Amino acid sequence: MEEDFMPRIIGFLCKWCTYAGADLAGVSRIQYPPSILPIRVMCSSRVDPLFVISSFLRGADAVLVAGCHPGDCHYQRGNYYTRRRYAVLRKIFEELGLEADRLRLSWISASEGRRFADVITDYTERIKKKGPNPVKKEVFL
Amino acid sequence: MSDPKKEGEGLKGAAFSGGKSSLETVLGFLKRTLAEGCFDALLLPVKAPGGDSFPYVLVQDKALLEDRGSPLPPIMPVQGGKAVSSLTRRGKAPRKVAALMRPCEVRATIELFKLAQVDLENIFLISIDCPGVLPVKDFAADPEKGMAAFGEVLEKWGDRKVRPVCQICHRFTAPLSDDGAGMVVDLHIGLLGIEDGEVLLIPYSPAGEEILAKLDLVPAAGGDILSAWRDRANELTKKRGEERRRAQEEMKSKVRGLNNLLETFDKCINCHNCMRVCPVCYCRLCYFDSEAVKHPPDDYLRRAGDWGSIRFLPDTILFQVGRMSHMSLSCVSCGTCEDACPMDIPVAQVFSLVADEAQEYFGYLPGRSTDEPIPLATYKEEELEEVEDAPQGASSETKEKDG
Repeated sequence: MEEDFMPRIIGFLCKWCTYAGADLAGVSRIQYPPSILPIRVMCSSRVDPLFVISSFLRGADAVLVAGCHPGDCHYQRGNYYTRRRYAVLRKIFEELGLEADRLRLSWISASEGRRFADVITDYTERIKKKGPNPVKKEVFL
Repeated sequence: MSDPKKEGEGLKGAAFSGGKSSLETVLGFLKRTLAEGCFDALLLPVKAPGGDSFPYVLVQDKALLEDRGSPLPPIMPVQGGKAVSSLTRRGKAPRKVAALMRPCEVRATIELFKLAQVDLENIFLISIDCPGVLPVKDFAADPEKGMAAFGEVLEKWGDRKVRPVCQICHRFTAPLSDDGAGMVVDLHIGLLGIEDGEVLLIPYSPAGEEILAKLDLVPAAGGDILSAWRDRANELTKKRGEERRRAQEEMKSKVRGLNNLLETFDKCINCHNCMRVCPVCYCRLCYFDSEAVKHPPDDYLRRAGDWGSIRFLPDTILFQVGRMSHMSLSCVSCGTCEDACPMDIPVAQVFSLVADEAQEYFGYLPGRSTDEPIPLATYKEEELEEVEDAPQGASSETKEKDG
């Protein structure tokens, strides 16, 4: 069963860095698992923690928030705010005993096609080991 | 307004008496401030004509103050931070207003100030030692019995009749020491460890000192009353801190994990009262009231298809966890959410548990300072690397090797 399980990962990718990085991975024909469902956002700081919680509770096996490396944000500071919000969200997940390791924040620049593929491969492997998101069995969410 | 003074840095207090009970004395003090023109109006809880509630009232009328003013009402039907915010959200008060509130309400006011929902200019903040409040529903069911019960609470300062979050509140008084239990306030009224009929007026800001000077009250450093107050308050703070930790551990075992979380919140009727009464849930349009949470039928059917079934109304846990992600850093553990829950879900106990953890993570205490930015409104360039990529050992499930 594990062999067949391909996680569905919702990825919120910043337009300026990570989305372009994903594009580069594609045009460079770097292979990575077809687990990621990319959603382009103008900046990682556009991602309200609610988007992540919503994805998680609606059955995504994992959620990725990705943007420019710190210091490289197209809007100067957006990703710094993202990091703080994400840290709080992670803390809340940990405190409530939800699976915080189904959340991930990664910085991937527009030139890092290889890194994009590596991050997705690594994340997919980790989630494969964990198995499907248990919320999928819960009706009373 | 400056940051709270630290212990040993010249905390001063002036004794004030004149009433038969301490609360009557507080009223006497307030009346004098109005008579001497210290303030143009007071914002404080006032007993409603029916005797069954204590809303905030902006009082200029001394007779009303005398008849119905309630410096320490048995319930908290409206969080004081919300009252100050309603008063000043559209600009500063044109004349001087003193707001008398419980410490958690003062802290919420400071958070709302930082969120630009309160204008503190011309607002003089007075806090008072708080023994906790009764659950609003218990009181409404039988106000007479409630008044009697609260009398006992005032005597014992640790009564089980007060709300569960009040029983484990460790920030029920003014700042005592430099261990971080700080609060921005102009004047604090101490009741603890002091004989009935007498109160201690402790200025915490230059404005507070000015008011006392205007009333010819000379606060003294040291003195028996001050040390009696401080000893009792310190002792109780420590005791409550321990009780808080114990109660939170217990609560943790009840809510942690998806199944427990669902069990805790499955009674929720999606009324969103908890959000509406929360002082720091200040958004004018809540995401959960917006069109963004209303999905087309197709969406629900697809979800029902994937899951097998789907509950209506949906997204209860999304609401609760989502609200935590928005407000937990400013949560002052005031318990208003739990009071407002018609289904008796321990909302405040769960939220304050999560909030304590989140606040500790950033070394932040809501209400401590007006200069300290709310953690989500600021950042450091180099920090929090531990949350990036795939943190190790963050969750019990993360046991696989590092790649």
